[in-house]
Amino acid sequence: MTAIALRPVSETLPGHSSRRVTTPDRPDDEKALVLSAQGGELEAFSELVRRHQRRAYAVARAIVTTHEDAEDAVQDAFLHAYRALHRFLPDQAFGAWLHRIVANASLDITRRRKVRDADDLPETIASPFRDPAESDEIRRRLREALTHLPERQRSVIVLHDVEGFKHSEIGKLLGIPEGTARSDLHYARSSLRRLLKQLRSPS
Amino acid sequence: MTTNFSAPHRVPDDDELTRTLRVLYAAPDSAGYWSALERRIMDRIAGGEPLDVWWSVPTQWARLSLIAAGFALIVAGSLFLRSRAEQREMAAFDSVLGPTAGPTLAIREAPTEKQTALKYIDGR
Repeated sequence: MTAIALRPVSETLPGHSSRRVTTPDRPDDEKALVLSAQGGELEAFSELVRRHQRRAYAVARAIVTTHEDAEDAVQDAFLHAYRALHRFLPDQAFGAWLHRIVANASLDITRRRKVRDADDLPETIASPFRDPAESDEIRRRLREALTHLPERQRSVIVLHDVEGFKHSEIGKLLGIPEGTARSDLHYARSSLRRLLKQLRSPS
Repeated sequence: MTTNFSAPHRVPDDDELTRTLRVLYAAPDSAGYWSALERRIMDRIAGGEPLDVWWSVPTQWARLSLIAAGFALIVAGSLFLRSRAEQREMAAFDSVLGPTAGPTLAIREAPTEKQTALKYIDGR
């Protein structure tokens, strides 16, 4: 077990307020956090959630079509990660492991959503968490264009261009070969350009 | 770099496309949102909520399948061994009690002259 300095944390877990919680002094010591979480320290896992939830959300948001689904996927993924934590080897990268779980949870939600919303798909696609410039023409057209892209191509372009994942990483996340991720990105870009050209302003 | 968003049919280049995608897919930036999400996640963990999603099912099914497969292997193996033992037993009975074609005679061919000569030389 790794020896790490622990300090009390002012923020307590809901439902665990009576418990003295601790977290590592060194914020970069993720392995120690994982080991603590594997030892049953809930606050250590809470710290892992704090550190990884934004990136996890970004991965989920690239795959599912709405903010709400991304949020659900993140929650499901962390819950699953917690239950599978005993199988995780602390020498591996926790982030990469978690991202694969998030991607699986997101793909699962997408599949279920597809079955449920088979009849009214266009209305449910691409509603972002916030829209800082609804009137912005190019954003409106881009959002509409994204609804016409095949799901996998949309995920690939968002994971690559927005989140900065490499082709190989995208391949692992989505369960496709690296070459397919590369060609999906190419087709997604050219399709978006074509669609943006076709989509007209409402006025 | 300034972007001309007013041109309705202008097609953005890759950089502009990426910038716009980043705006569309921006994660919430309020600290309150993230602490609330973290709390919800930890609530679900603390609550021991069941998680019935397909990617957690294989583990449960895998365990059951392994047990079932192991059991089937043991049953199949014992049946195979038993049937082989029975076959051997039957073959042994057949060889002792089964009908025979009658007494068989040993037929020896008469030695050739050459063999007789060699036998004679060896005897000497």
